[in-house]
Parts: sequence; C-alpha cells; structure tokens
Amino acid sequence: MVKRLFRSLPGPLPLRILLAIVIVLLILVALGFIFERAGDLLDNGGVIQ
Amino acid sequence: MKILRGLGWTMIWSGVIILLFLGYQLVGTNVITARAQSVASEELEQTFEEAAEILELSGIDVPDTIEPGEMPDVPVLSPDITPVENQAFARLVIPKAEADDVVFEGVSRSTLKNGPGHMPWTALPGQPGNAVISGHRTTYGAPFFDLDLLEPGDEIRVQTALGWHVYEVRSSEIVSPTDVWVTDHRDGAWLTLTTCHPRWSAAQRLVVFAELVEGVNYPFVQSMDPTAPNVTDRPDSLPGEDF
Repeated sequence: MVKRLFRSLPGPLPLRILLAIVIVLLILVALGFIFERAGDLLDNGGVIQ
Repeated sequence: MKILRGLGWTMIWSGVIILLFLGYQLVGTNVITARAQSVASEELEQTFEEAAEILELSGIDVPDTIEPGEMPDVPVLSPDITPVENQAFARLVIPKAEADDVVFEGVSRSTLKNGPGHMPWTALPGQPGNAVISGHRTTYGAPFFDLDLLEPGDEIRVQTALGWHVYEVRSSEIVSPTDVWVTDHRDGAWLTLTTCHPRWSAAQRLVVFAELVEGVNYPFVQSMDPTAPNVTDRPDSLPGEDF
C-alpha cells in the first residue's frame, strides 16, 4: 500500500522522495497536534478554572 | 474483496496510530518532562543564588533555622524575586507520594509540560494565603500520580529562595474542574495541590489542602491578623493557552 502510494506521487524519483518526506513530516506534525489535544482528555495538568 | 482489504488496511493503520498515541503519552511526554526537570534543577540553583544576593543587598537576613518564639526579618518573599512566567522557582517534595519536582511559575499547557506549575494569581509557597500548585497525574512525568495516597498529617515540603516550608495535609477533596473556590484566599498559609482525577481522565480534580506548620514564615503567619485583606485577585481567565 505504501509502495503504491509512493509510486502514485508525481514527478521523477528525487522529487517523489522529497514529496514523500514532506508528506511524512506533515503527517507527524498533525499527529503531534492531535496527540496533544487527545492527551488532554486523559490528563490536562489538573488546572482548575 | 476490495472493500475487505481496504477495511483491513484501515484497521491496521488505526492500530498503528493508537499505539503511537499510547507510546507518546506513556513514554514521550515523560522524556520531555525529565529533560525539562533536569535543566530546571540547575536553573533553580541559580535562581536561589540570585535571590540570596538580592536579599543580601537588601540587607535582609534570612535565618537557616528559627528558634521557637523568634520572629524572622522576612515575613514574605521579596517582590524583587517574584518568579516570572515559566521560571523554575521552587522545589516540591512529597515524601509519601515519592515526588520531588521543580515547580514552575504558571499553569499554561507549555509550562505544565515541564513540571508542576504555580497559579500566578495565588500566594507564593511559604507566603501567607493560599498557594496553589497544579500538576499532571499520569503524563508528563506524572508528578502527582500518587497524590491520592496523602492523608491528614502527611508532610509536604517546599523549598523556595527563603528556605524550606513544611506543610501538613489537612484534607483532600474531589471537585469539578470549574470549582475555582479551591484557589480562594485562606487565612494562615496554605498549600493547595490540584491534579486530574481519576487517573487517565480529566473529568474531575483531586485537591489536597495542606497548612504551613514549619519554616521561616511560620512564626509570622501565626501572629497574623486573620481579618487581613486578600493577597491576590483571581483573573476571569488564564492568559495565553486554554484548556
């Protein structure tokens, strides 16, 4: 599946590698943000306000 | 067949994402806090040294110990050494919960990643009034993981630039996250610790109330007029990040 997604990227191989790295980084940033917000449901630091 | 395969891949990736999430919460956040605490310990030593210099320049003598009946020169922490947002300014030790953490000023999301945070609009630890400190229960080093073990009479120690302040637990309570009355001013000198309850849920708050029983300010607190006006005012909302 990952291979198929990689092959479906446009352009020559170097560009596809670059695109893949950018996409992976974007996914990681998005996951980090989601993990932070979801983590607040488990433990948000105990602040009272 | 194609639908089943798609469903299979979706479940596999969902599982991977859930595992990554758990890994981040159980391990990643603890690594972040451990690093911050390590740096903060050094920062704290520097803060204490700077505070000692300020007190020395001010001609204020902070005694290491107080004899019974003796009144210290410094009733409250000097305003010159009031901590700024995200500054490490105290060490919190809870022997029964095996907690020993550097405390930071502020309770924003980013500050609490570093360790327990002091609510800026409340009294500072060791001062008359109600000093409120919040901390994570299960993630980011889980400084207050075992806060539920505390019982009346248990000891909590806080080290500030003035020295050690010893508190004794009086009570604990489960409240709603919006029960701001727990941060209200109290006569005497109190330390209020707040954290999430139950473990792995932010639905409620576990609050522990402790009263100052020993330290450089203790004789002063004992002699205070209980009708004295409040030290601080609570803002309607926290500056910066929301929760």
